[in-house]
Amino acid sequence: MRPTGHALLTAILLATAAGPCLAAAEAASAPPVTHYVLDAGKSSLEFTFQQAGAQNKGKFTRFAVSFDFSPDNLAASRLEVSVEIGSLDTGDQERDDTLRGADLFAVTKFPQAHFAASQFNKTAGGYEAIGKLTIRGVTRDIRVPFTFRTADEHGVAAGYMSGKTTVRRLDFGVGQGEWKSTEWVGNEVGVAFALRLTSAAR
Amino acid sequence: MVIRNTTHRWGAVAQLLHWLIVALIIVQVTLAALAGDLPLGMKKLAMLARHKSVGITILGLALVRLGWRQLNPTPALPQTLKPYERTLARVTHAMLYVLLFAMPLSGWMMSSARGFPVSWFGFFQLPDLVPKSQPLYHALVTTHQSLAVVLGAVVTLHVAAALKHHYVLRDDVLQRMLPLSTTTQGTKR
Repeated sequence: MRPTGHALLTAILLATAAGPCLAAAEAASAPPVTHYVLDAGKSSLEFTFQQAGAQNKGKFTRFAVSFDFSPDNLAASRLEVSVEIGSLDTGDQERDDTLRGADLFAVTKFPQAHFAASQFNKTAGGYEAIGKLTIRGVTRDIRVPFTFRTADEHGVAAGYMSGKTTVRRLDFGVGQGEWKSTEWVGNEVGVAFALRLTSAAR
Repeated sequence: MVIRNTTHRWGAVAQLLHWLIVALIIVQVTLAALAGDLPLGMKKLAMLARHKSVGITILGLALVRLGWRQLNPTPALPQTLKPYERTLARVTHAMLYVLLFAMPLSGWMMSSARGFPVSWFGFFQLPDLVPKSQPLYHALVTTHQSLAVVLGAVVTLHVAAALKHHYVLRDDVLQRMLPLSTTTQGTKR
């Protein structure tokens, strides 16, 4: 009876100890993520919106991206994007100034928009980042589908990330006063990005 | 009232197109004047969106009108007109037709150049006629406004002539474009 009891105890001890050990082994064997930064000159961040029934376009010219990613280690992947809202450009000075104004983006009070994701899923077409988008001081959960491919360009590890999603401007309070109406300016805003990232040693 | 034109009188379709376009041009002038005084805001967007939609409507009606004119006889000018009066009438009418196309087209191009695409009452979006360009936009604003002034002048001449025909020459030139007037078979009243 005694030896059997010992054996059982040993087995339990081993089993409880093995759990964390196995997890540690798994983490150690997971491939490291690559740290990417933005190649601003070869990247675009554009938006489309309905104005008076027609689709209009704009872009942000200043934004930063920090992307830690490995297709084989999504758990350790992280994405951080910050956008200088004041850099918006719809090709029309008067409209741009209006968009920067207090009733829309309120750029003086909220100069940046921010997206941070730490959860990534593999999807049929690529990946999706699940994170928090902050615009005009309002934070919302958002899923952003994207594709990602890497290329070795003369010894530089480049990553190409692109995708698009739709946000509702009024969810973030972009549109106060008369701009709350969606009759002439649509609520849904398409956001499309095509980024060239380069890996930087960390 | 007959649908088609005769050699003496405008038919119902030609009259409808004429007066509908008159009404829409009045709407256009009103919307443009109202929008012109507003700062960029929801009200201005609304005014200009309607102005664009109505402009495209006029463009469409002008096309229909030109087509209908080709398929119908044109009522003849009174025999009593002097040759220079005939020429003046022809030039005035030709200019009105040209302006019915030039006004909306220059407006449409203006919108394209500014990067504010045109939609027809929100039902569909029209393609951009010219690429987005600031200098081109300013040139087109000048064009559109100048054409509006020319249109104003030609319309004044057109109305003055119609009134002269009615009150001075006492022929049926005005009446044959009026829906409720009785046909006088192109003769003097």
